[in-house]
Amino acid sequence: MSPSESNPIPMTSKGSGEATAQSVGAIQPQPHQRNPSSKQRRKGPLSDQILDFAARASGVGIVLLLVALLVVLTNAAWPSIKANGFGFLTGTTWRVNELERPQRDSAGKIVYDANDEMVMIIEPAVYGAAPVIYGTVISSTIALVLAVPLSLGAALFLVRIAPRWRVAAPVAFFIEFLAAIPSLAYGVWGIFVLVPFMGKVVGPAAKASLGEIPLFDWLFFRTLNVGGQNTRYEITINGWNMLTGATVLAIMILPIITAISRDVLRAVPRQQIEATLALGATWWQSSWMMLRYARAGLFGAIILGLARAAGETMAVTMVIGNKNQIVASFFEPAQTMASLLATEFAEAKPDQRSSLLHVALVLLIISLGINILARWLVVGSASKGSAGH
Amino acid sequence: MIITTALIHRTPYQRFTRATSAVMACICVAFAAMILAILAMVVVYLFTRGFNAVSLDFFTKLPTGDQTNPGGMLNGLVGTGVLIALASAFGIPFGVLAGIYLSEYPDDRWFTGPVRFICDVLAGVPSIVVGILGYELLVVPLGGYSGWAGAGALAFIMIPIVARTTEEMLRLVPRAYREGSLALGATKAQTIFRVVLPSATGSVITGILLALARIAGETAPLLFTAGYSRLLTTNPNEPFPSLTIQIYQASQNASPAQQNLAWAGMLVLVTCFLILSAAIRFVASRSIRTPS
Amino acid sequence: MTSLDTNKASMPPSQSNQVLLRPIDMTERAPQARRYEVIEAIRANREHTPSIHQIVDPKDSVLSIRGFSLWYSKSQALHKVSLEIARGRVTALIGPSGCGKSTLLRSVNRLNDLIDGVRVDGSMNVSGQSVYGPGVDVIDLRKRVGMVFQKPNPFPTSIFENVVYRLRIDGVRSRSTLRDACESALRSAALWDEVKDRLDQSAMGLSGGQQQRLCIARAIVADPALLLLDEPCSALDPIATLRIEELIREISRRYTVLIVTHNMQQAARVSDATAFMYLGRLVEYGPTRAIFQVPKLPETEDYVSGRFG
Repeated sequence: MSPSESNPIPMTSKGSGEATAQSVGAIQPQPHQRNPSSKQRRKGPLSDQILDFAARASGVGIVLLLVALLVVLTNAAWPSIKANGFGFLTGTTWRVNELERPQRDSAGKIVYDANDEMVMIIEPAVYGAAPVIYGTVISSTIALVLAVPLSLGAALFLVRIAPRWRVAAPVAFFIEFLAAIPSLAYGVWGIFVLVPFMGKVVGPAAKASLGEIPLFDWLFFRTLNVGGQNTRYEITINGWNMLTGATVLAIMILPIITAISRDVLRAVPRQQIEATLALGATWWQSSWMMLRYARAGLFGAIILGLARAAGETMAVTMVIGNKNQIVASFFEPAQTMASLLATEFAEAKPDQRSSLLHVALVLLIISLGINILARWLVVGSASKGSAGH
Repeated sequence: MIITTALIHRTPYQRFTRATSAVMACICVAFAAMILAILAMVVVYLFTRGFNAVSLDFFTKLPTGDQTNPGGMLNGLVGTGVLIALASAFGIPFGVLAGIYLSEYPDDRWFTGPVRFICDVLAGVPSIVVGILGYELLVVPLGGYSGWAGAGALAFIMIPIVARTTEEMLRLVPRAYREGSLALGATKAQTIFRVVLPSATGSVITGILLALARIAGETAPLLFTAGYSRLLTTNPNEPFPSLTIQIYQASQNASPAQQNLAWAGMLVLVTCFLILSAAIRFVASRSIRTPS
Repeated sequence: MTSLDTNKASMPPSQSNQVLLRPIDMTERAPQARRYEVIEAIRANREHTPSIHQIVDPKDSVLSIRGFSLWYSKSQALHKVSLEIARGRVTALIGPSGCGKSTLLRSVNRLNDLIDGVRVDGSMNVSGQSVYGPGVDVIDLRKRVGMVFQKPNPFPTSIFENVVYRLRIDGVRSRSTLRDACESALRSAALWDEVKDRLDQSAMGLSGGQQQRLCIARAIVADPALLLLDEPCSALDPIATLRIEELIREISRRYTVLIVTHNMQQAARVSDATAFMYLGRLVEYGPTRAIFQVPKLPETEDYVSGRFG
């Protein structure tokens, strides 16, 4: 939503019983003068004073909401911020429990103490956010890769092929309608339909067709260092994995990208299209010019879809497998920032909790950044009426 | 597009570009059809599974947590209703007032500009982060999950949406109405509440209803605020049930009976949603055509 | 050649404006005594015969319109218009708003096809090739006919890319060919000197008049058989307008131009032949000098002197 341009007149409070210069007649102050009465404004009637106070208080309240969000989160995440610093973002291990393991010397051999027992080291819990950041980034990226071509194609269809009233309007209405379905619905559908489909159909099909090709080796096999030895084992594809999560996300962001792209393309002036046609361009050549013209707004639409995908919780949590790891193959389970919070927050220990809040803070900042960027792009292209050069 | 017959004297490049154009057009049609098919598939599947699963029990019984006799989601239905009511009690006045502020106080431009920006920013906060904020602010100090915390989290989501839609709708009211009212000697407050707001009532209500529909479908903010409860209760001081959380819990359960319950819940949720959205749009189109 | 030749060349430019409009002698004929027979026939929807000063030799005809009618859904916008446009001339279409001149122009390159519910009847031929016949390749047609629109509409790319777009969509890739064609087109459009150092800069940075000349260059880069100008100066300031008018006179040496204008003085300054239209029908068509000085119909005389319309 962009702020509309029209401004209602500035209403000044009327002095009770006294007609002053600033009442009714003065509608708009001259642009180069300030409203002469603003400095000497008398207090208006009680109802106006109350309204002014309440309205301004609500404005302040809105600011407080954001301030509260940032302050509370930062405060609660502070122990983790202090302990981990920026290394939090790159730490690749997220282990909630302590780990007891035998101490090894510099040569890698186990150290034994005087009683011939292994010396055990207790490693504390370590919190690194890199796996969930990776999970969020990759799942959102795959979702975009799947959704953007479909959405742009559908938007072109709606604007340039479909008859306006009989086809384009109902189809667009249907798609926008579905944009409002709660994400829980997609999650439930994902669990019962998409996960089995991925596990029993897509996985085996992919393995059958691509499994032998060395180029795709990373998709189906993983090499782990177990007890000092590299063993290669085959990934079991059971449907609870990153790809499923990304697919659900893609389905969820289809409506929003399609709707905004359609609006952006409809704003391209007709004369641009006529100019290409008058030069003898084919349908695709003139559509390509249309996409070029609207590229800023289209990019904004895509980023808005990305923002929705990155912040999505329920649908992703239910199908992604919830395993905090960085692995190459998207047929393996994964975890996003939002799904980590959903699964671990409720029963977290204190230090775990502050790390989780640290993750929430990172998620918040990333989401806000993407949203601001998207709004700037979409509003910019709509108000300029033309794409950037 | 006119389908042409083959002309003899055409260069290979021209044939190529025309073929490309035809292919791309077909791809665009196919993509649009795919999107429709996928979305329709999801909705249809939800409806069919849900129809088979829903029964009168769903609306009358409480969840038992039992594997074979899961009961119903009566408390969830009631709970969501109560949560929406509580959230609205706080969120609607706050949001509408903020909308009035943004629209009717242009002299405060130095402040309303940032406030408007912050509204848009708040609308983009992931709902789970809102839930975590609710936990830190309303659960920890009060000692446990509660309906108040859940309503608070929902209100947090609701307020920026209501504020911005109210502002947009109020801006559409013509200047002439305000001028006429002031010229008759009305105060600003009277002008706003007797003239401006009533003339935008339909669309403001539409905006509010859309916000309500949105929060009715939210799950993540309630996970750590209202929590989960199997009781039928309207007391917001304790962990509070909600339809979305019930459905989520049921879906995580391995027993087919519980999963069936999840489907039934899903059907009810989505149906209410679609009916509500259709009704909202219907009201919106009517109110735009006949400004009061 | 026909007498159209002598129209503009014989008159020094400074005098042409003054001479073309005869002083109106009000005493001779009272207004109500002038019978607009053709206009009345048109208004009553009766058959009428347009007054055509001379028939264009078919060898010279670039655009041949025969009995062309067009309907927008239910309402008829053009009624059996017949017109021959001669090669190497500038022909102007004039008439009051709603007379169908823009519709007729856009029908030549079939841009009206983009509008829902458009129906046509009759025939049009460009260089002997049918425009509306069965199996006509619209894209090919549009490649042979160039168009410049009312409001300059350059693409949001560089000046160079704008000009060579027409060649690129034909697959021409050789950099030297493109550069030569670009220079030649920009020279013909009297824009080369102003932009030759910034061909790679965005076309959006040019002034309105420059953008319009760029659009003209874009339209002529592939030597179209016919150049259609749809009120090309109506969005420009007077100085830019004058430059475009000079340019039109220049390029009419190489191209055939059909220009729609609501500005009669412009038609008088710029064109060799003028067609006067009213309510979707052709009223009078002849050499510009004749139309403006010795029109055959009182309607035409009154329209060009501003007494009606």
